[in-house]
Amino acid sequence: MRWINRRPRRGAEMLLLCLPFAALVAAYLIGSAIRLDANPADKLLPSPAQLWAGIQRIALMPDPRTGEWLLWSDTAASLMRLAAGLGIATVIALLLGMAVGLLPYLRASLGAFVAFLSMVPPLALLPILFITLGLGEAAKICLIVIGVAPIMTRDLALRVHEIPREMIVKAETLSASTWLIALRVVLPQVLPRLLTSLRLQLGPAFLFLIAAEAISADAGLGYRIFLVRRYLAMDVIFPYVAWITLLAVLADIAIDRLRSRVFPWSDLERGA
Amino acid sequence: MHDPDFHRDFCRARLIGAVTLGLCLAVAGHARAEEKTDFKVAWSIYAGWMPWGYAADNGIVQKWADKYGIAIEVTQFNDYVESMNQFTAGGYDAVTLTNMDGLSIPAAGGVDTTAVIVGDFSAGNDAVILKDGTALTDIAGRPVNLVEFSVSHYLLARALDSVGLSERDVSIVNTADPDMVGAFQTPDVTAMVTWNPMASEIAALPGATKVFDSAQIPGEIIDLMVANTEVLQDNPDFGKALAGIWYETTALMVADTPEGAAARAAMGAASGTDGAGYEAQLAATRLFDKPAEAVAFVNSPDLATTMDHVRGFLFDKGLLGPTAPSADAVGIELPSGQVLGDGANVKLRFTDDWMQMAADGAL
Amino acid sequence: MSAISVENVWKEYGDQVVLENLSLQIADRAFVALVGPSGCGKTTFLRMILGQERPTRGRILLDGQPLPPEPGPDRGVVYQRYSVFPHLTVGGNVMLGPELRGARLTGRRFGAARRRLADEARAMIAAVGLAGSEDKYPAQLSGGMQQRLALAQALMMRPRVLLLDEPFGALDPGIRADIHQLMKRLWNEVPMTAVMVTHDLREAFTLATRVIALERLRDRPEERERYGARITRDISIWPPRVAGQRTSFDPPEGAEPPL
Repeated sequence: MRWINRRPRRGAEMLLLCLPFAALVAAYLIGSAIRLDANPADKLLPSPAQLWAGIQRIALMPDPRTGEWLLWSDTAASLMRLAAGLGIATVIALLLGMAVGLLPYLRASLGAFVAFLSMVPPLALLPILFITLGLGEAAKICLIVIGVAPIMTRDLALRVHEIPREMIVKAETLSASTWLIALRVVLPQVLPRLLTSLRLQLGPAFLFLIAAEAISADAGLGYRIFLVRRYLAMDVIFPYVAWITLLAVLADIAIDRLRSRVFPWSDLERGA
Repeated sequence: MHDPDFHRDFCRARLIGAVTLGLCLAVAGHARAEEKTDFKVAWSIYAGWMPWGYAADNGIVQKWADKYGIAIEVTQFNDYVESMNQFTAGGYDAVTLTNMDGLSIPAAGGVDTTAVIVGDFSAGNDAVILKDGTALTDIAGRPVNLVEFSVSHYLLARALDSVGLSERDVSIVNTADPDMVGAFQTPDVTAMVTWNPMASEIAALPGATKVFDSAQIPGEIIDLMVANTEVLQDNPDFGKALAGIWYETTALMVADTPEGAAARAAMGAASGTDGAGYEAQLAATRLFDKPAEAVAFVNSPDLATTMDHVRGFLFDKGLLGPTAPSADAVGIELPSGQVLGDGANVKLRFTDDWMQMAADGAL
Repeated sequence: MSAISVENVWKEYGDQVVLENLSLQIADRAFVALVGPSGCGKTTFLRMILGQERPTRGRILLDGQPLPPEPGPDRGVVYQRYSVFPHLTVGGNVMLGPELRGARLTGRRFGAARRRLADEARAMIAAVGLAGSEDKYPAQLSGGMQQRLALAQALMMRPRVLLLDEPFGALDPGIRADIHQLMKRLWNEVPMTAVMVTHDLREAFTLATRVIALERLRDRPEERERYGARITRDISIWPPRVAGQRTSFDPPEGAEPPL
């Protein structure tokens, strides 16, 4: 039988799903054991016990130096920045994307500009941001906004433009004004896409957040990783990386659930 | 179709893959305790370490490697922390770092590290700078921008100590060193600790005042060339070559000759400044170009006092490892054989072996 | 009244002539079917009546008044696809027009006005045979049901002219026959003029009062750009079909209007 027609059974499917994860863990454990055998104080690949001790230290007890629960205070600081950045970016993308997608005059004047902006590498702007906005929260949030807003705006403008002309004309025959077309025909149709676009930008947003926190901060997930990197505390870095990944995955699922719940028709359309 | 053979083979292939990957991860730091002929040296840009780059570019490294029948590959790192991490992970046999980072990074990471060359100490290259302040005590209550857990942090701790303040009287904002100059010009930054060339540039800005510098704690911030102790024990020629390279290069660069000026200009250009800027940095650096002076420095009792300050600071910050019960956790061996801390866990060693050979002309 | 007069209308795209000097009188309450080969410009002609495109030369009048330059509620439309809004339920789609007309800021009706509108919409949904599907989304409807919904949505605005752009072209024959029944009934009951583009001659002769054929008379490659399509046939159905004297919008004595 051809490979394209061979399908795993249900049980085998679960097994195949777990295999890459298991292989990764096994590779780590083997590597860690070999290195620790050669040098018991090796920090590069800590043993599971050392990792657990690291997790306890950062998540389950207050830091003896500052009295803060590091993982949680870092998470709160980072999520605040992330939420502010993505929130502002989403609002900009929604307003600008709809306007550019819907209004020929704005498309003529801003369409190419937004496309141009979305090609600017945001990390290269980081020094400028820090000098103009200072080292505080504004620069970090602004980096996230600059990093994701133009791409989201472009994506949304394209989606608006993709709405069949027939639907817009139909709305005109139902006496809709430009405003009402935007409000009742275009907006509800692109909101699910906006949420999907937001999901896709979670990864880049985390990247920009961590880059900004690495340069200057006194709390945050990226701050901690780059701080402890200095003395190779992989027992902190690995849990932080896993935690950031988990946060991103959970946010991704949550946003998709939200879309499905609020816009049930968007799932139907996909299936149709 | 379900094919059990396929799954068995597949799982076996996965397992083999996992083992291979594990070995790859492990191999970086493994199997180096043996005689060998190829050595890797990492350095990063800093006033006191520029001779290493100059030596590599101008055949001095090649000359000394050839003399001892070995090969030395010198790599410049743009990121100092990365160069130390590479050394700690076993990717390099020797690296340039400070006495404090040597203790907190490779030594606390279990890598037995020996200081082959004491190249210089900072005598003004690191500074505490305030905006709208004239005395160090004005720093109280301010946020201070610095590279956390670096020698700047140490300098701040020593500075605060000298006027009866402590770190609780300020708040620390971790800031990357390339952004220091720009950061100082933003309104919310009012106090900063950093090193040259940024420090002199910032001190020259309007409203900036240097209120403390490393000249006030001479000999405490030491720039070293360290090597993996095992590698060094198995290959003493590697240490000899490093010493030979260092003293030939520094002799050239301090010489009041056209060649000396050309070498300084080349190092200045390589560090992103010019001849004059580099000479200004050197003026704030106590360079050990004569091996006898370096030997005297490591044998002075002040070194023990300095390292005691340093390990106290590191322990206080949790940098000797989360499980370290006290500052004694990592042992430090001095040239006299005296050990600070745990004699069963000596991981940082100061020695005059190779510098003495240079002083004796025995290379 | 809703008589359409087309006077010496040309449509050109750059050098390409699509329609050449069309003149046509469409009587009030007529049902005109436009037929012709693909690319002969019948959809372009429909779009000009709709206001989606403008004639290059000549003019189109509705009851003696020039057409506004953009689509509006006096001319309803049903396309083959994309006629209904995927994000609204059947009820929401049918209520949308009156909501947009009644609430210029929010586009939504609330309270008593909404309840009244919902009743009206329910009656219209029942009239097109979709009773019971009020809460379904278009993606949950078959193709035929979606077109019934599109008709209901358009008719809620009581347009003077209903424009149909191959509305039933994608439907299976059995379903098409059912919806033809509905179409005839609606045209008969609702006071409007209908113009339908179709490439199905049978459909044209089943529904229309008048069948008009558009065709390029000169169709050799070198002539194609310079000459557009003209009216080549204009057939009135015999015996004449006349829309009902009494319409659904005329209330019978002492009763509420059914729509």
